Amino acid sequence: MSSTSIRRTRPRRVSLDEVRARIGEPDAMVRAKKRDHLDHHSRRFIAHAPFLAMATSDAHGRPDCTPRGDYPGFVKVLDERTVAIPDRPGNNIADSFRNLAENDGIGLMFVVPGVREVLRVNGRGYPTDEPDVLARMQIEGRDAQLAIVMEVAEAYFHCGRALIRSRLWDPASQALAGEVPSIGQIAVDQMELDMDPADAEKILEADYRQLY
Amino acid sequence: MQRTVLERIEPVADGVVSLVLRGAAGPLAPWEPGAHIDLALPNWLTRQYSLCGDPADRDGYRVAVRHDRLSRGGSEYVHRFLRTGRPLDVSLPRNHFPLRPAPEYLFLAGGIGITPILPMLAAATAAGSTATLVYAGRSATTMPFADDLRARYGDRVTVHPTGERGRPDLGALAAALGPRALVYCCGPAPMLDAAAAAFPSPRLHLERFRPAARTFAANRPFQVRCVRSGQDVDVGAEESLLNALQHAGHQIPSGCREGVCGSCEIAVVDGEPEHRDDIGAPPGRMYSCVSRARSSRLAVDL
Repeated sequence: MSSTSIRRTRPRRVSLDEVRARIGEPDAMVRAKKRDHLDHHSRRFIAHAPFLAMATSDAHGRPDCTPRGDYPGFVKVLDERTVAIPDRPGNNIADSFRNLAENDGIGLMFVVPGVREVLRVNGRGYPTDEPDVLARMQIEGRDAQLAIVMEVAEAYFHCGRALIRSRLWDPASQALAGEVPSIGQIAVDQMELDMDPADAEKILEADYRQLY
Repeated sequence: MQRTVLERIEPVADGVVSLVLRGAAGPLAPWEPGAHIDLALPNWLTRQYSLCGDPADRDGYRVAVRHDRLSRGGSEYVHRFLRTGRPLDVSLPRNHFPLRPAPEYLFLAGGIGITPILPMLAAATAAGSTATLVYAGRSATTMPFADDLRARYGDRVTVHPTGERGRPDLGALAAALGPRALVYCCGPAPMLDAAAAAFPSPRLHLERFRPAARTFAANRPFQVRCVRSGQDVDVGAEESLLNALQHAGHQIPSGCREGVCGSCEIAVVDGEPEHRDDIGAPPGRMYSCVSRARSSRLAVDL
């Protein structure tokens, strides 16, 4: 079997009961840390988070997960139960908006560089063009085009094991970047372009210059 | 940049805090009344604040910050998240609002626009000039330093809560002004516009905290030659000169990125700049964050 072929037999599936039997119930502390609002620790975390992952899904439950990033605090906390996430050019947010129109469930994972724990916030979202919200997201004289308003249902800090094991903040981990293909190489191969990957890289880099 | 430590943060009116930044390595750079600094916040944003303390105090800078309801992340951060003891970098002071010598001054301040006026009023009074201040704000509780000003200057200061008394009558103030008086005004846009209508422009000095609303011709691409490095840099229609130069590898400081603070000033050697800033660039200079080119090429001293 060559390395590019698809497996014929899938790994076996186990039931939720079997899962529970193996990992046990979440302990009381994990359950207790979930809150139905953003406390002052969560707000401080969001104010310093330049990055998040946002999950939505469509009416059939088909999922999508997308990265969002900007200066720390780019997600605005409107009150302890409401946040607003800006939409900027190039985010290709259309999938998220289409999903939200069908299914308003939304999950966020906020990341602060150097911190091993992440903040998880789940709730319901909808798009807005409210001028007072978009004005707070202005950068270099440009407003955000739209924003997602999220009503918070639960918020909790997720333990740091994943980030510890992944050595995500260890500068030495960045050596991994040299082992994966450049975006220029990926573009040339996936789009079957008759082009030098280095030239494709230059075009993509030039495109990155316009961030807002 | 100068390294400071936030020594004190305290409320001085509803929605306004005062910050004292102490020099981390001895005395800070000197400044004149009207000067402002860029404050680099921990959330990567840089904001400009007028110095409102005493220029003779070289150990620390004082600024005051109003929590803007529509904060883009600067004043909200200062109010909610900044803590004493935090090291903070500040720029060297810059002054686009210097106090010119005159025998008589009328100072007009609106809300947080009082900050540059405080050291100006002190300097004018110390120089023996006749100096009066009309200080407007929504209500007395939202106006920082009003009690100190009344205690120190008595009836030369008029505190004018617009919620009770409406806007000050600038026409009457203009009529009462001596022939050699200068007018200094800092406040929200409607106050600046009213001042520009009431006082003859050679006597009036204004400072804005946000860019004036203006429209410009559509952006066109242009090329800039950096004469010292010999580099040609293309500036796309949707790109700022500052961004293009930074991407080309030039270390240009930047602050507001909207033509107000002046930190991204560069020298123009050839070509005709299209100035879009609110500062008023001196001859041979331009602010690269907003200004562009009327000619297809510019040459700059980089």
